[in-house]
Amino acid sequence: MGKIIFYILAMAILVFSVMTVTSRNILRAAIYLLFVLMATAGLYFMLNYNFLAAVQLTVYSGGVVVLIVFAVLLTARMDHKLEAVGSLKSVASILLLLSGMGVVLWAIMGYSFVPNGMAEGAHDVKAVGMSLLSYGSYGYVLPFEVISVLLLASMIGAIMIAKRYTK
Amino acid sequence: MGNEAIILFIILGTLMVGGAVIFSYLVSPKVPQKMKEDTFECGIETQGSSRIQFKVGYYLFAILFLIFDVETIFIVPWAVVMKDLGMVAFVEIVIFFFILGLGLLYAWKKDALKWE
Repeated sequence: MGKIIFYILAMAILVFSVMTVTSRNILRAAIYLLFVLMATAGLYFMLNYNFLAAVQLTVYSGGVVVLIVFAVLLTARMDHKLEAVGSLKSVASILLLLSGMGVVLWAIMGYSFVPNGMAEGAHDVKAVGMSLLSYGSYGYVLPFEVISVLLLASMIGAIMIAKRYTK
Repeated sequence: MGNEAIILFIILGTLMVGGAVIFSYLVSPKVPQKMKEDTFECGIETQGSSRIQFKVGYYLFAILFLIFDVETIFIVPWAVVMKDLGMVAFVEIVIFFFILGLGLLYAWKKDALKWE
């Protein structure tokens, strides 16, 4: 049963990824990317990484796709369709794709995956929160606070840049 | 949450969305008219393409939304373990909120939240 769902999700990821890069309309490409990200969230749910799946759904398919769509809407020539790729370019990109795939497959096939008998670590929201907020060993409270500084910096930067254009 | 939940979710989601579309297609009365295909049935005729360049203000709102989205994501694990960690977790989240509150204050002062 799990296999069937995995294949459905993998199929969705593959099909929509190809549609993302082949779509001539850039806004449609953004929407296909949304489907790819949602199917990836499905994979995380299958692995029981509930928190990661929630992050994927809210931040990536919720926020980043909105950001991409708005960035597309900001460009002046958004109805401009991408022109068809020439035959030389497509041959070159297929060769590049095959060589990249060969490297990845060679690396994966050369590695023998053996179960090492180690217990799966806890990865529910509680474990994430515990290690995020504790300050002992394996505690990430400093990165947790630094994240807020990072978010603050990006917020101020966005406001600075956007305000300059509206004035 | 296992595979059964995902299957149930896919089936229910397909049934709800597909069922609503098919049901409304079956029961709705259809009287095709040329005027019904217009963007607006009354008012001024539309001109040009609807694909225009948007104001940068939209992007600003999107990026502010994304930042507070990420903030919410970090509040969720805090809220789950808050009772176990007690005062320490409370102080940590107060610092977190304070730093992000500065950002909100900055946006407010710079009139970034005002729609112009």
